[in-house]
Amino acid sequence: MQLMAETAAPRFWIQDKLLMGFTPGEYLRSLLTPFNAVAGVILLVGLPVIAYRYLYGLGAATNLSQTNPWGLWIGFDVLCGVALAAGGYTLASTVYLFGLKQYYPVVRAAVLTGFLGYFFVVVGLLVDLGRPWRLPYPVIYSYGFTSVMFLVAWCVLLYFTVLFLEFSPAVFEWLGWKNVRRRAVKLTIGATVLGVVLSTSHQSALGALFLIAPRKLHPLWYSPLIPVYFFISSIAAGLTMVIVESMLSHKIFHDETHPQRAVDLDGITLGLGKAASVVLFTYFFLKLLGLAEEGHWDLLNTAMGSWYLVELIGFVLAPCFVLAFAVRAQNANWVRAGAVLTVIGIIVNRLNVAVVAFNWNVPDRYFPSAMEVITTVTIVTLGILTFRWIVNRMPILHEDPQYGTEH
Amino acid sequence: MMPNDIFAMYAAKVADYLVAVAFLLLFIPFWRFVNVPSAAGEIALAPVRRLLDQFAGWFVLPEHAYFHPGHGWARFDDGQFVTVGMDDFAQKLVGDLSAVSLPAPGSRVEQGERGWSLTTPEAKSIDMLSPVEGTVVAVNERVVASPEVVRSDPYGDGWLFKVRATRPRANQNQLLSGTLAKRWMEEATDAIQRMISPELGRVLQDGGMPVHGIARSLDAEKWDELCRRFFLTEVRHARGETF
Amino acid sequence: MKVSRRSFLKLCGATGAASLIGPPANAGAAADADESVAMLFDTTKCVGCRACEAACSEANRLPPPALAGEEAVFDHHRTTDSHTYSVVNRYPARAQDAPVFVKSQCMHCVEPACASACPVQAMEKTREGPVIYHADRCIGCRYCMVACPFGIPKFEYDKALPYIRKCIFCIDRLRAGQMPACAQVCPSGALTFGKRKKLLEAAKTRIYQHPDDYVHHVYGENEVGGTGWLYISKASFEELGFPANLGNRSYPELTWPYLAAEPLVLVLGAPLLMGLHAFTKGREKAEKSDATDGKEIDHATDG
Repeated sequence: MQLMAETAAPRFWIQDKLLMGFTPGEYLRSLLTPFNAVAGVILLVGLPVIAYRYLYGLGAATNLSQTNPWGLWIGFDVLCGVALAAGGYTLASTVYLFGLKQYYPVVRAAVLTGFLGYFFVVVGLLVDLGRPWRLPYPVIYSYGFTSVMFLVAWCVLLYFTVLFLEFSPAVFEWLGWKNVRRRAVKLTIGATVLGVVLSTSHQSALGALFLIAPRKLHPLWYSPLIPVYFFISSIAAGLTMVIVESMLSHKIFHDETHPQRAVDLDGITLGLGKAASVVLFTYFFLKLLGLAEEGHWDLLNTAMGSWYLVELIGFVLAPCFVLAFAVRAQNANWVRAGAVLTVIGIIVNRLNVAVVAFNWNVPDRYFPSAMEVITTVTIVTLGILTFRWIVNRMPILHEDPQYGTEH
Repeated sequence: MMPNDIFAMYAAKVADYLVAVAFLLLFIPFWRFVNVPSAAGEIALAPVRRLLDQFAGWFVLPEHAYFHPGHGWARFDDGQFVTVGMDDFAQKLVGDLSAVSLPAPGSRVEQGERGWSLTTPEAKSIDMLSPVEGTVVAVNERVVASPEVVRSDPYGDGWLFKVRATRPRANQNQLLSGTLAKRWMEEATDAIQRMISPELGRVLQDGGMPVHGIARSLDAEKWDELCRRFFLTEVRHARGETF
Repeated sequence: MKVSRRSFLKLCGATGAASLIGPPANAGAAADADESVAMLFDTTKCVGCRACEAACSEANRLPPPALAGEEAVFDHHRTTDSHTYSVVNRYPARAQDAPVFVKSQCMHCVEPACASACPVQAMEKTREGPVIYHADRCIGCRYCMVACPFGIPKFEYDKALPYIRKCIFCIDRLRAGQMPACAQVCPSGALTFGKRKKLLEAAKTRIYQHPDDYVHHVYGENEVGGTGWLYISKASFEELGFPANLGNRSYPELTWPYLAAEPLVLVLGAPLLMGLHAFTKGREKAEKSDATDGKEIDHATDG
C-alpha cells in the first residue's frame, strides 16, 4: 500500500516536496497567517509600483536627479545587501577553513542568507539600472577593464555561482539526488576558498567605487582606505547577521530546527559575538588610522563631523563594547542586542557613504521617494518569503536524516 | 587627497603611527578581555574531554534501531508492527525510576508527540515523545511492574510498547540510524560535556559514573528540566518562549 | 598686477618642467594628449550670441535651444541636460563693464573619469581625443555621473528606455574632416579649434602678450590631469563657476592602486587559504588520534 503511494510519482512529489505534505486545499488554508497578510499587502502595493517604474522610467518613480544619480536602491539594496550577505563567506570559512565544526548548525542558513542576499542585490540592480536587460553586458558584451564596477560585476557573478555550489547539497538532499549531492559536497572546500577570495574582492570593490569621487564624498568618509573599511566591516556584518538571522529562525522555524540546536545556539552566538567584537575593535582603529592620515580633525567640529562621530562611536565602538561585555558575561541575549546594533551600524555606514555624506554640499540634497521605499520593502519581503519557502522544505536548519553528515 | 606640503605629511604620519601603536597596545588586553571565561573553561575541561572521548561508547546504540531525536527508539518488525522504547542515553540521564506510565492499548500515538512519561522517586514527571504514529497494540507489563528493567536492558527486555504503525516508511524516514545516529549521540555527549563542572569532572576522572542519573549530577535542582530539554518535552511557559 | 616678462617666462618654464615630472605612466598619455584635438575658449571674446548652442543642437539632432535669442535666458544659471549638450551662461564681472559669458560642455579630459568608470566602455576616450558615448553598450548604471568632477553626463530620467547624453565633440564631423559645429559658427573668435599642444601654446602666448587682460592660468591645462577644453579668462575661474581645487591628478589614478592590488589578492588568496585549511585539518587529525590512541571506536554502531 505504502509503495503504491510513493510511486504515484508526479502528484505525490508535488505534494511532498512543494506543498510540504499538505493537499492543495490544506496548503492554501495554511497560508492564512498574519505575516502572510502583511506580506500580501506589501506585494499588492509593491509589485504595481515596480511595474510603474519600468513603464514610466526612473524619473517618474524616484527622486534621483542629474546631481544625485544614486539613491536608496544603490545605497541600501545593493551596498547594504552585499554587506549583510557576508555571512555566507565568513561562516563558510569559519567551518570549512578554520575547522571550527561547532558552527556547522548555522553554516547552511548563513550560506542561504548569502545566496538570497546576493540574488536580491541583483533584483535591486535590475530595478535601478536604466537598461536592466543589459545587466550581463560587462560579462558578455563589452569590457570596461579599468572600471571598479566591472570588477564588481564579475566578482558578484562568480561569487553567486560559488554560493550556489555551496548551497546545492541542501537542494540535492531535498530532491533526493544522492550521487549529484556527493559530487557537490566534494567541491565545498574549493568553493569556500574561492568564495572568500571573491568576497574580499567585491566587498572591497564596492567601497572602491567611491574612490573616483573625492570631492563629492565628504572628507571624513573619503579615504584611500575605503576598500579596506568595506571589507573589514563586511566581516562584522556577516557574523552579526548570522547571529540575528539564527535568533529569528530559531523563534519562527523552531519545528524545523535541529533538535540539538536548543543547546548549541547560545554557544554559537557567543562565539560569533566574540569574533565580531574583535573585528569591530580593529575596524574602529582602522578608521582612526584613515582619519589620522587625512588629517581632517578640524572637520569633526561641523554638523557632518558630529554625524561622523555618531556613526563611529555609536555604531562601531558601542556595539564592539556591548558584544565584548556580553561575551565576557557569557550572556547570549546581550550578544544578540549587540549584533542588532552592529547590523544597524553597517546600514548607517553604507547609507552614509552612498547618500548622506555623498554630495553633502550640494543645494538639492537627495531624499528617497515613496516609491523607492516601497520598492525596497517589496524586494526585502520577497527575500524573506523565499528564505521561508526554502527553509520549510529543504534541510537548512536541520539535517536530512537520510544523509550522513559528511562535513 | 594626499597633503602636498611636507609639514602636513609629517603631522599625518605621526598621527598614523600613534594610532597604530595605540591599537597594538590596546588589542592584547581587549583580546584577553573577551576570551577570559572560555579560556578557563577550556583548560578545566581538557582532561575531562579526553576522558569522555574514551566513553564514546558510553551510550550503547544497537543496530536495527531507529532513533527519535527525543531519545525514543523504534524497531520495525514484520509488516506494520513497531516496537518502541527509550534509549540508553535517556535511562542514564534520568537515572532512578519509580514508574513508567505507558499509553493504553488501543490508544493512538503520534510521531513527535507525547508518548509516555517517567516518574522518579522524587515524584517528578518527565514526558517523552513517541517515535512513530499508530495504534498501541501491546504494552510491556514487566516494565509496568518493575521499571528497573528499562535501566538494565533498555533495548531488549525494557521495551515499552508495540504499535501498529499507519505510515511506517514515512516515520522511518524521519528517524536517525547508523552513522547519523552515532553522530547524533556524539553531539549529545558533547552537550553533556559542556555542562560538566570541574568537580564532576574530577569525579568522572576517578572512574566513578553517576549511578543515580547523570542529570542529577549536572544540575541538582533543575535536573528534570534538563531531562525534558534533551527529550524535547519542555513545558512552554505562558509568558512566551525562552530563547 | 604687473608681471614682468622675466617672471612670466620663469613661470612658463617651471610649469613646463613640472608637467614633465610625473609618474612614468603619464609620459605616454602626455604625448597623446599633445596631439589630440582640443578647443580653446577665450571668455574675453565671447559675446553671448549662443550661435554655438544652435549649431550644436542642429548637428546632434536635438531640440533647438531654449529661449533662443532672448536676453532672459541668462537670468538663471543653466546646466547641460539630457537634450542640451552645451550651454552659455552669463556671469557678472568683478571690476569690469561687460559681463562675462562662459560656454559649458563636456571637458573631454585627457584621462577621463567617466571612461575609466564605465563598466562596459560605453564612455570611450578616442585616439583622436574626444570622449564619446556608445549607446549600444550603455547599461544605464550612471556611474559615469558619479565619477565626473564636472557633472557633465546627463541621464534621460524621463524616458523608459534611457540613455546618457553629453557633448561628443562632433566626432562624426571630425572624422569627416570638419571641425565641431560650435567652433564652425562662432563669430567672435572665442572658440579656437586645434591640437591641444598648439592651443596651449596659443593660450599662453595670448596671456603673455596681454598680461593685464587674463588671469595667468589656463584652466584645463593640468586640472584632473588635463582636459581637452582649455579656458582663459580675465575673471577668476572660481567666479565663473569652474570647479576649484580639482588637483592635478587624474581621477582614474585614484583607483589605480586598488585595481593593481586586486589581482594580487586573487592570486595570493587561494594558496594562503588552502594552507590555512590544511593546517587546521592537520591539527584536527592530530587531536583525534591523540584521543583515540589504542582504542577502536565502537564499530558495532555503524548501521
